[in-house]
Amino acid sequence: MMERSLIPELQGGSLEDLLWSARELLEDDSFPTVARWREGGGKVVGHFQVYFPEEIAHAAGALPFRMRGAPVEPLQSDSRFGSYLCSILKTSLEVALTGRVELDLFVTHPICDAARNLAGIFGRNFDYPCQILYLPQNANSAHAPTYLRGEYDRLKRTVEEATGAMVTDEGLRGSIAVYNRNRALLRELYAMKRDTPWLVSADEAYVLMALGGMMRREDHNVVLETALDLLRGREVPRPDRIRVVYEGGFCEQPPLDLIRAVARSCYVVDDDLLIGMRWILGDVPEAGDPLLNLATAYLEDSSYSPVQHDNRKPKEKMLLKRIRESGADAAIVTAAKMCEPGLEEQVAYTRALDEAKVPYFVSEFEENMTSFDHLEIQLETFVENLMFD
Amino acid sequence: MAYAAGVDVGSTQTKAVIVDETGAIVARSLTATGANVIQAAQTAFEEALNEAGLEEREVEYVVGTGYGRYKVTFGNTQVTEISCHGRGAVHMFPDTRTVVDMGGQDTKAIRVSAEGEIIDFCMNDKCAAGTGRFLGAASSALDIPLDELGPTALKGERPVKISTTCTVFAESEVLSWLGKGKKIQDILLGVHQSIAARSAGLLRRVGIEDQVTFTGGVAKNTAMVETLNQRLGLEVNVSDESHYMGALGAALFALDHVLVSRQPAGRGEEVAS
Repeated sequence: MMERSLIPELQGGSLEDLLWSARELLEDDSFPTVARWREGGGKVVGHFQVYFPEEIAHAAGALPFRMRGAPVEPLQSDSRFGSYLCSILKTSLEVALTGRVELDLFVTHPICDAARNLAGIFGRNFDYPCQILYLPQNANSAHAPTYLRGEYDRLKRTVEEATGAMVTDEGLRGSIAVYNRNRALLRELYAMKRDTPWLVSADEAYVLMALGGMMRREDHNVVLETALDLLRGREVPRPDRIRVVYEGGFCEQPPLDLIRAVARSCYVVDDDLLIGMRWILGDVPEAGDPLLNLATAYLEDSSYSPVQHDNRKPKEKMLLKRIRESGADAAIVTAAKMCEPGLEEQVAYTRALDEAKVPYFVSEFEENMTSFDHLEIQLETFVENLMFD
Repeated sequence: MAYAAGVDVGSTQTKAVIVDETGAIVARSLTATGANVIQAAQTAFEEALNEAGLEEREVEYVVGTGYGRYKVTFGNTQVTEISCHGRGAVHMFPDTRTVVDMGGQDTKAIRVSAEGEIIDFCMNDKCAAGTGRFLGAASSALDIPLDELGPTALKGERPVKISTTCTVFAESEVLSWLGKGKKIQDILLGVHQSIAARSAGLLRRVGIEDQVTFTGGVAKNTAMVETLNQRLGLEVNVSDESHYMGALGAALFALDHVLVSRQPAGRGEEVAS
């Protein structure tokens, strides 16, 4: 495993320095952390949203890289996709076609028709292996954990071939421990958003979390530990704002400036942004069969999203639960433009919110949006209406 | 006497209104927004102060609204124009339940309660079709001043159909109708009908409840009022102050603050900030 630090910009300094550097790193479309990893001889496993068992790539000593699109113009990828498809597909391919990131393996999932076809499109454009990881269609089947363990075993062999490194059970247990720590730190970050939202704004928390998709998680753990310590000591005013849950960021990500615009009006006390990073809710057992443990955790101890269908987790009820448990006053229900799963779920979400008499604000976004004036006016009016009540 | 003010920094024009403690308008002003938004807000406010014969210190609270609400640097707080137009419309026409605000760059449909609270709203968020800018494009293509568009359109008898949804292409379509020999008044009537149709579509999204009040600068256009009436099948309320409705609503929100802050605090109770 490579043990050197790849993030000198994030070391030392004040909280403001750390947050500024983190944002710069996240918005740099040359993906410097990935480039440095490759320059050092490291392998990179790119995986498309939403959930991927990164522990398997991590155990092979590779850098798992979360492909979540980028704020770049899809100049080359536009010729490979129809105009009716969402933006994240195009920009994820664009960053690869333009050499902004170089991969050794690409994995996507059948979360929607468009995402499933990414493997074929990548496969026609690159020499490295491009695979589909088939997460269970029927999460409620008694055979789902065994089936998924088999898929993870297939993935493990693919990773071994792509990286030239063996993935042992011992290595997997070590990686599970690193990721358990990461998940625990992200839970702490989200507890801070929920309990003391004035200490960390939605955009700051997002930046800190999202960095984990482009660096080794042991490094990310250090970043989160440092940031959480500094945030706890932060002395800031506590403006009176409404508490909202932001829903709709499970795959394509809203622009950071949009999250910041929301944070100017509201405390975002919970959300589904990059939910794949927080998909597993608790610790994955380190003892026993690591692949089965990962598969079981995916199915039995996990969050929800419009692209996983589990009868035990009706999405609209899960949203109401998220609102209730975070003490939110209202919901912001968004979806990426052209995102079929996200837009379909809006119908169920808004109906449930109406029935539960929870105020909500509906909008669409695109990762390449640059103007938020209209959104801000509408959101502020929504907030004013609640505040003046 | 206590005074409060609202400054509405719109995309093309900035308006200021000063009200006294009864909510009556004592002064109003209007200036072009231009490139220096901060200066436009300051100028509009100073002109309103001059008209009222007041010193700045006599105005106890100022609320900024409009797209440049955060540029009202001398203001005390900001409220969005959606809330302000709703508040202003109900103040002028207490039975108002639906508001259509047609401005330079956007059109908003707002449903309000009897107290002026916003129940629902929506706005054109993708292009300028159905807004004042659409009329500006027609004015430019036909070389007719904006304030003559309405009277000219009302002379139309056989309106053309404007099919494009894009303001830029609308200009081409207007020129195309001219090339086909259509009368200017018929083309303009078609333009107004097109905008009315889009506005009615927005209004239907929030639900049209009588009475409907038409606010914003475009409400001064007589043909726009007429075509909107025809489209909605009712008579919309139009005030002489329609252009100032956002600033008026902002001034009323400011007045709320002034009046609340004058109430003596009860035991263990703080004055609202």
